[in-house]
Amino acid sequence: MSLPEDQPRVRTLAARLWTRTTATVLALVFCVGLVGAMALGVLREIDTLSTSNSDNLQWSLAQADVEYMQFRLALELAEENQVTLQDVRRRFDIFYSRLNTLESGEVYRGMRDKSELIQPRQNIREFMDFAVPIIDGSDADLRAGLPEMQARANAIMGDVRDLTLAGLAAFANESDRQRQQVMGTLIRLAAVLAIVLAGLMLLALALWRLNRLASLREAEVERTAGRMRTIVETSLDAMVLSDADGRIREFNSAAQTIFGYSRDEARERDMLELLIVPESREKIMRLARDQFDPDANAPALQAADRTLQVVAMARGGRTFPAEITFDRAEGTDGPVYVAFIRDISRRKAAEEGLTDARDRALAGERAKAEFLAVMSHEMRTPLNGLLGTMQLLRDHQMSEAQSDLLDHMQSSGQLLLGLVNDVLDLAKFEAGKLSVEQKPLSVTRLLDGVVETIAPLAAANATALEWHWEGEAQDAIAGDARRLRQVLLNLLGNAVKFTRGGRVDIEVETLGFRDPQLEFRVIDTGIGIADSDLERIFQDFETLDSSYARQAGGTGLGLGIARRMVGLMGGAIGAESEVGEGSLFWIRIPMIPVAQMPAFEGPDRRTKTPAASRQTTLAPMSILLVEDNEINRFVARQMLTAEGHEVVEANDGMAGVEMANTRAFDMILMDISMPVLDGQAAARRIRAGNGPCVRTPILAVTAHALPEEIAQFRDAGMEYCISKPLDRGELLATLAAARGQAGDAGAQLDVPPELSPSMLDALLDTAHLERFWIDLPESARDALLRRFVEETQKDISWFVGRAADDPGLQARAHRVAGSCAAFGLKALRGHLGQIESALKQGQIVDPALIAALPDLWARSRTALDIWCDEARQTA
Amino acid sequence: MTIAPHKPRFPVLSLVVAGLLASAPFGTQAADLAAPEGDVLLTVTGAITNTNADNAARFDRKMLEALPAVTIRTSTIWTEGVQTFTGVQLIDLAAAVGTDADELRAMAVNDYAVTIPGEDWVDGGPIIAYLNNGAPMSLRDKGPLWVIYPYDSKPAYQSEVAYSRSIWQLDRIEME
Repeated sequence: MSLPEDQPRVRTLAARLWTRTTATVLALVFCVGLVGAMALGVLREIDTLSTSNSDNLQWSLAQADVEYMQFRLALELAEENQVTLQDVRRRFDIFYSRLNTLESGEVYRGMRDKSELIQPRQNIREFMDFAVPIIDGSDADLRAGLPEMQARANAIMGDVRDLTLAGLAAFANESDRQRQQVMGTLIRLAAVLAIVLAGLMLLALALWRLNRLASLREAEVERTAGRMRTIVETSLDAMVLSDADGRIREFNSAAQTIFGYSRDEARERDMLELLIVPESREKIMRLARDQFDPDANAPALQAADRTLQVVAMARGGRTFPAEITFDRAEGTDGPVYVAFIRDISRRKAAEEGLTDARDRALAGERAKAEFLAVMSHEMRTPLNGLLGTMQLLRDHQMSEAQSDLLDHMQSSGQLLLGLVNDVLDLAKFEAGKLSVEQKPLSVTRLLDGVVETIAPLAAANATALEWHWEGEAQDAIAGDARRLRQVLLNLLGNAVKFTRGGRVDIEVETLGFRDPQLEFRVIDTGIGIADSDLERIFQDFETLDSSYARQAGGTGLGLGIARRMVGLMGGAIGAESEVGEGSLFWIRIPMIPVAQMPAFEGPDRRTKTPAASRQTTLAPMSILLVEDNEINRFVARQMLTAEGHEVVEANDGMAGVEMANTRAFDMILMDISMPVLDGQAAARRIRAGNGPCVRTPILAVTAHALPEEIAQFRDAGMEYCISKPLDRGELLATLAAARGQAGDAGAQLDVPPELSPSMLDALLDTAHLERFWIDLPESARDALLRRFVEETQKDISWFVGRAADDPGLQARAHRVAGSCAAFGLKALRGHLGQIESALKQGQIVDPALIAALPDLWARSRTALDIWCDEARQTA
Repeated sequence: MTIAPHKPRFPVLSLVVAGLLASAPFGTQAADLAAPEGDVLLTVTGAITNTNADNAARFDRKMLEALPAVTIRTSTIWTEGVQTFTGVQLIDLAAAVGTDADELRAMAVNDYAVTIPGEDWVDGGPIIAYLNNGAPMSLRDKGPLWVIYPYDSKPAYQSEVAYSRSIWQLDRIEME
């Protein structure tokens, strides 16, 4: 039972009271001692009083006077012969005896020492010395001496008188002193008794307060017990109290409701046998043993952690899930166990319901995602087919009018593709699946492309469209060209749409020094936007003028997507406008300048020209084209055969793998989404087998290439990636790059392969590299890097063509992995780690793993170079 | 203090018993006590049955010494230091004179008189001392007879009553 909250206060009060009581008791003991001592004194006093040592002192003293007078009388009468000499002698003897008593008796000792008595005693003694020989002498001598004796006896009368009087005074003083002493003793006794009485009263007070405290505490305990009873009885959980043998002692109302037994029925029954199904009993017994057996060495748990989920059993055998918590307490006769049992069937049901709901929601989400993927594939595929076919059409002889028609068809197709992409982008963004790349791009090329795209629309509205740099040009930056173009196209499209017979200018400017930004401003002289509308134009599905929008076309998603894209790139977007004057839309993105421009950075409309494509003429190759879509297959074949390559087609992944095993190809183009066996799995099989194409470069062809997907493609053995729709220039350039790498195995390692800079993150642990970069001085850093590159180059060359069971493999893999970790080449390190751990576990190393090393190293090295260059520039 | 009987008491008792058995008339009993030969130290009168004179029992030193003797060691308030006193217990004297008196009146040479009640005459009670420290006492030394209580043996004997009853220079007793 818990203690009441004010217990500490009561406790201190009790402690204080106890201290006080102890002090009182001590005082009392002291007083009793004092009383004892006094009582002893009084007893002694009483003793003294009861054992008189005085005889009748006054009488004795007075009697001395009387005896003296009798003696003198006897002397006088003897002279007149009225008494015999014998009488004189007897009287003398009696007087003598009396004086002798005074002289030698114990009681007269005090009196004898008095100074004023010295002389009288002397005189009396002299008289005695004179008288005794005469008295003891013959009758004749006595008779003769009678007159003198009489005279001398008369002479000492004063002395005898003095002696008796002084004795009386002394005894008066003595009795006074004794009275005083008795009185003093009695007063002291009274005082001590008063103190004792006070002490007793204090003790009584203390006892009274203790008693009051005890009754207060008793009342408090009673109240607490009452509260506890109420709590126990109103608890929704069953509370069962059992003795050490497990027999039920208490069974609260909730327990009666839950288990269906009345209190009397439950009492004395075995708790576990009555309430818990046999399967759960052992679990409870085990925990009880662990927790309460002094010999158990299991860690002691808090009471709240001693919770078990068990199956409980109600009357009639109904079972239900329950949660049981229990603890042990010390009862009056041995330990008792308190168990709280909660019926958790509803909670369990609710949990299951929630789990179901969550699973259903997740399933729905997955279905939606799958639907999106399917839509992406299904909608883009025919579009790609259309656009590709249009490109092929240009290879044929056409009239100028036909060519114009083709242009319009093509731009409409692109617009449609853009709309599809818009909707999908939004969906992806909402699903959190949208990401931006950081790869080198040329601002000039980007803007040239955008302007070229929009130019036909501008020309149709008689609007001039131009772009220029404000200030110093910074052409090469890292960024996501596709997203950036998407945003710029949207802004420009809007500007051109709402401007007729005016101008649309694009200004580009670098801003700031510490965190440089690149600002694009799209300025038109169009109809402008009211201030009140500026707020909401970036909302989804907002079109300002429905009639106008209808005229201009658009989903109203454009600016909403643009806002999201810019936000994703870490930038901002905004607009200023004057109705009737025109509008200014601006975007700012963080500017990351790069020194090195990649050979290719996505579709560039100008490279589509036949002239441009013909610049990259390759020696004829035999190419395996694995693609399930007939139109796409047709487009790709047309593009490749036009370049003089031999094309063999496969309808799905499985067919592709089989074909690759029959003969050697120079190149394999692999679609990703295919029935039967998808592109990744097919590539893995080709790489893992030992067919003639095991080292043939494989190009992934996909419409949805997210950076992590590209990494997966790499893992599957597809080093290159081309996005759909197939662009002739991109395709040919990629082929050339792959060909160049595969052309000469010896030179392969030294030629940096085409690297998508977005792969930087996949290859490098940039955070680690940054620390490395900052921590080391420049000279040491560069020397280290050089040495690392040289050594690793050698090591990787050692691996080439090495048998999978070479004894030195594990050690070498371990060492190179170590240095790769030091320089943040995480992909390469992971790869080597795979080799090492396989060897460590005694497995045979996949030869493909070793074969993939040179390429991975080449890419890692390029990535490292790019990163270092960037780091040097930003520094 | 010690109380040491010097002689068995039964001869006296036998005397008394013999006296009673003889059931002699009152007047003939005077012959029961021998006549004193020396100086008479003590004369007992009053309600007594054994006499050796006219209704009186007269004792000389020899007769007293013939009675059962008791020696007491005690201090007194009239003397210095512990003393020994030898004498006859009052109870033995009473037996010797044959009395049924409730009290006795003791008188001194100087006519000091005091009453000693019967309840004081007990075995281990007061004696009529005739020897102090083994020597007879002269009149000057509160002799020749002195009633002595064994003061040191009983606090009750250290009271003024006991002191006042300790009569010295005793020469007469009257049984009442």
